[in-house]
Amino acid sequence: MSLIKLKRLEKTYQQGKIAVPALRGIDLEIESGEFTTIFGPSGSGKTTLLNMIGCLDKSTAGDIIFDEHSINDLNSKELAEVRRYNLGFIFQSYNLIPVLTAFENVEFAIRLIEKHSKKERKDRVMSLLEEVGLGDMTDRRPNELSGGQKQRVAIARALIKEPKLVLADEPTANLDSETSKEVLELMKEMNRELNTTFMFSTHDPQVMDYARRLIEIKDGKITNDQRRG
Amino acid sequence: MFFLKMAIKNLSRHKRRTVITALIIAFAILIYILTEGLMLGITEMSFDNIINLESGHLQVANQEYWDDRKELPLRDLITPSAAVESELEETEGFVALTKRLNFSVNLNNGIDELPVTGVGIDLGRDEQVFELDQHLVEGRMPESGSSEIIMGAKLAELMDFSLGDYATMLIRTEEKTFNTIDGKIVGLFNTPHPSLNESNVFISLETVQQSLNVEDKISHYVLRLEDQDLAANAAAGLTQRLEGKLNAYSWKDAAESLVTMLEMQAIETQVILAIILTLAAVGIINTVILSALERMEELGMMKALGMHQSEIVYTFMGEAAGIGLIGGVMGLIMGSIGLWIFNLNGLDMAALTGGGDVTYGFPLSGTIYAGWEISSFVFVFVYGVVVSVLASIFPALWAARKDPVKAIYHR
Repeated sequence: MSLIKLKRLEKTYQQGKIAVPALRGIDLEIESGEFTTIFGPSGSGKTTLLNMIGCLDKSTAGDIIFDEHSINDLNSKELAEVRRYNLGFIFQSYNLIPVLTAFENVEFAIRLIEKHSKKERKDRVMSLLEEVGLGDMTDRRPNELSGGQKQRVAIARALIKEPKLVLADEPTANLDSETSKEVLELMKEMNRELNTTFMFSTHDPQVMDYARRLIEIKDGKITNDQRRG
Repeated sequence: MFFLKMAIKNLSRHKRRTVITALIIAFAILIYILTEGLMLGITEMSFDNIINLESGHLQVANQEYWDDRKELPLRDLITPSAAVESELEETEGFVALTKRLNFSVNLNNGIDELPVTGVGIDLGRDEQVFELDQHLVEGRMPESGSSEIIMGAKLAELMDFSLGDYATMLIRTEEKTFNTIDGKIVGLFNTPHPSLNESNVFISLETVQQSLNVEDKISHYVLRLEDQDLAANAAAGLTQRLEGKLNAYSWKDAAESLVTMLEMQAIETQVILAIILTLAAVGIINTVILSALERMEELGMMKALGMHQSEIVYTFMGEAAGIGLIGGVMGLIMGSIGLWIFNLNGLDMAALTGGGDVTYGFPLSGTIYAGWEISSFVFVFVYGVVVSVLASIFPALWAARKDPVKAIYHR
């Protein structure tokens, strides 16, 4: 069953009087539990595509079907609801809240979905932080963590509400190769253990090695889509 | 609760900025507390002076007399009776009762003549209602039935009188015939009520009644009650009970123009507060905009996680409320210290008016002390917090409406 279905998806940005096409008719289906990398040169449309799938931006034409529901006609509040309950995000620059501890940063995301008791919430956050290897750093603030540790907190934050899909825009761009490897291993492990669908953009060949599906995008069009064992 | 906790933590990001913004609120509150305290002090002292030296708590007079009382008429006077007095003594919180007869006098020192207000007082009872005797700076109170008088030291100085001198008091009876009283000055007073010092002469009631040929009539009764707050209700009750044209008037009715003036001053104080806090609100707006600009990527993340606009707005409002609370507490502490310092020595009215006799219409002189009321503290504290929160709404909405993609990539 497809988690995401894109049909002739187009996005055009208006820069003054000039229309700049970012996506030109994308057709794509992503199954549940996939670990997919979108790669391509800068400006090829990777981030725009992730933003469309992540309900952060609206398309100019075409359809986006998320979990068998069209999201084309949703207003900004409804899109926020979709993101709140179904999506997790991992950013290149982590985007952690500096005044909150690692524990609170993760707790922040689960607070938005009010279906857990205080104890349940605490147990879930602690167990996830332990899973990402930060069980002894829960009280540390982001400025007391290394880049890799920050990205682990961000991964825990993305996963805490058990989203259907985690989107990561160049998640290893700010990390050294050794730390990148650790973070990718962790994401793959989470994908295996929780069966969460991961989709991330990159132009780092090391990152591509981890993907089970590689989608190449150039000038707003998918030019290659290959699955690996 | 979590968002409130986060808002409070956000305040610690730029402690200096938070403190400076809070200080603006604090200064606004300090200025309000000092202004309000000064006004409150002036109000309390003015009312005390009016009650203790001019009107007592209640006055009972004929309605027609009351309406024309400033012209000091000898019409519509009251003939005292034991029945009326015993009715007055039944008033709730009754302490003492006296009789007075106000009349018009031209005071003559042989060279100059000055129109002043003469007051015939019921010696022996007057001291139970008024405090005039406590402000004698020379001499003593007049004796009952004598033509001895007392006057303000200021008036004596103006008319070149000294203790023991005779002052010729030119008066007109109700039948418009002239009469004079050669009043021997036996006492000089200096009260904190300037107009009393400058334009009033006091004499035995019996002497005045005889000279004015009004038999035993008086212009009004004056009552002292246990508490000034009882006066309004007591006046209303008495007016209903009293027969004929007799009406009772509270000290507030007597000081009508002063009460109006002080009410206007109170509005002025509120306007000052509103202006100052509006300026402080600009500081809050500035702080919220700066915070939002600095945290744009974070805001983008929050929106990506599905946070609603309203939740983002609440977070900023929480921060502004925090600044308001910090500023409010600082303002109250600063205001309390300010009032304490102010009240160590008080404010000399003479220094305020450049040593002159100007009183800006307030019936007070000497040293002013500031008053304070817990309700004012609560009001200004709440007002400061509310203004802070309201000021944050617009910039918070601006931040919350940012497109999430633009916010994440800080475009």
